[in-house]
Amino acid sequence: MKKLLEFDGVHRAYDRGVDVLHGVTFSLNAKEIVGLLGVNGAGKTTLIRIAMGMLEAQSGSVRVFGMDPRECPVDVKRRVGYVSEDQILPPFLRVRDIIDIHRGLFPTWDEEMARDLASTFSLSPEAKISKLSKGQARRVALVCAAAHRPELLLLDEPAGGLDPAARREFLETSIRLLNEAGTTILFSSHYMQDVERVAERVVMLHDGEVLIDRSLDDLREGHCVALVPAGDGVTKQRLLGIEGCLGVRERTDALHAVFALSPERSAAAIATELDVSNVNCRQVALEEMFIELVGGQS
Amino acid sequence: MLIVVDPQSGVPIYRQLMDQIRFHIASGLLRPGDELPSTRSLSAELGVNPMTISKAYSFLERDAVIERRPGRPLIVAELAAGEMREEKMDQLRETLAPSVTVIRQLGVPREEALAVFGEMLRDEENDTEEER
Repeated sequence: MKKLLEFDGVHRAYDRGVDVLHGVTFSLNAKEIVGLLGVNGAGKTTLIRIAMGMLEAQSGSVRVFGMDPRECPVDVKRRVGYVSEDQILPPFLRVRDIIDIHRGLFPTWDEEMARDLASTFSLSPEAKISKLSKGQARRVALVCAAAHRPELLLLDEPAGGLDPAARREFLETSIRLLNEAGTTILFSSHYMQDVERVAERVVMLHDGEVLIDRSLDDLREGHCVALVPAGDGVTKQRLLGIEGCLGVRERTDALHAVFALSPERSAAAIATELDVSNVNCRQVALEEMFIELVGGQS
Repeated sequence: MLIVVDPQSGVPIYRQLMDQIRFHIASGLLRPGDELPSTRSLSAELGVNPMTISKAYSFLERDAVIERRPGRPLIVAELAAGEMREEKMDQLRETLAPSVTVIRQLGVPREEALAVFGEMLRDEENDTEEER
């Protein structure tokens, strides 16, 4: 299958030797929606900026449509839409001016879609950017990122700080782009419910590496959380030693272990290895899985 | 269509869609020959990835619950009378399965559990009578 976006062993450290990414490898196929997860500081924004060519990987490579975004910035950017949480639009311009500028920059601009989105989002063309609310400004950015029918849409925490209705509009616009233009989408988000709705696959960054890269259905059906009562011989190390155990979090009187196995097989493995029977193993939503995996490794 | 997606539940979304469509068929809300929304329109309506919708539809088609016709909307398949009954019983078993687990966990004996269930059914029937 054609790869639209490829990260291969991407490494990036900031000036003071702080490692953000060390060896991130994954790729996106055409027409896929992938959710990029990770705690604050996990490197999601850094990675998206590297894909945009705004930052350079210190080693490893990134390819967008098979091109290096640092070498072919214009060819890449014309085919990519990008919205970030802290996107700054020139405050002295009107909504109409910003849209005019983008229309001029993108040969594939679809005026009908631009008008349609602007009216869905109730954007007034004459409004000054400086007078817009945070949500309104983000909507303007989305119109600009979507109306040229990009082949790849990069959304960096697009819904941060938005109300639920505005978040739903972002999801619906993303799905519309996928349906109408076949757009491939990579989006980072802390809203796990949004990710569960629209993403087909999730990539979770942790400690600068890819901790999980699985389809969502696979993650939900093939993984579970086991609640193991603390007791004789039950230790974090022994649980981690069981095949399929991805992480263990120590709580007051129990240990929570994430297994890449079905609940039945996890319970059986714990019974065999630790001689503890009737362990409660259950499938959980993404949010709980996320907390169990990255909330307890520090 | 009357479908609600809950991303918070541990059940994959394509499963939720399958379960709800099957339930609507078993309960008679959807009848044989009724058209189903297209993948696109349902994905837009629910704000859900279209791949998820088509996955649910493919599994339902494999199970002969719905029928694909070239270039036309999907429809609910004809079911023989016996199959319909079987489908209803499947739905009922699935719904009751968690109760069986709870009964075990609480250690309630079989006879008492059955008595409680019978009582609840009777109460519900009486309530419906009174409303009439």
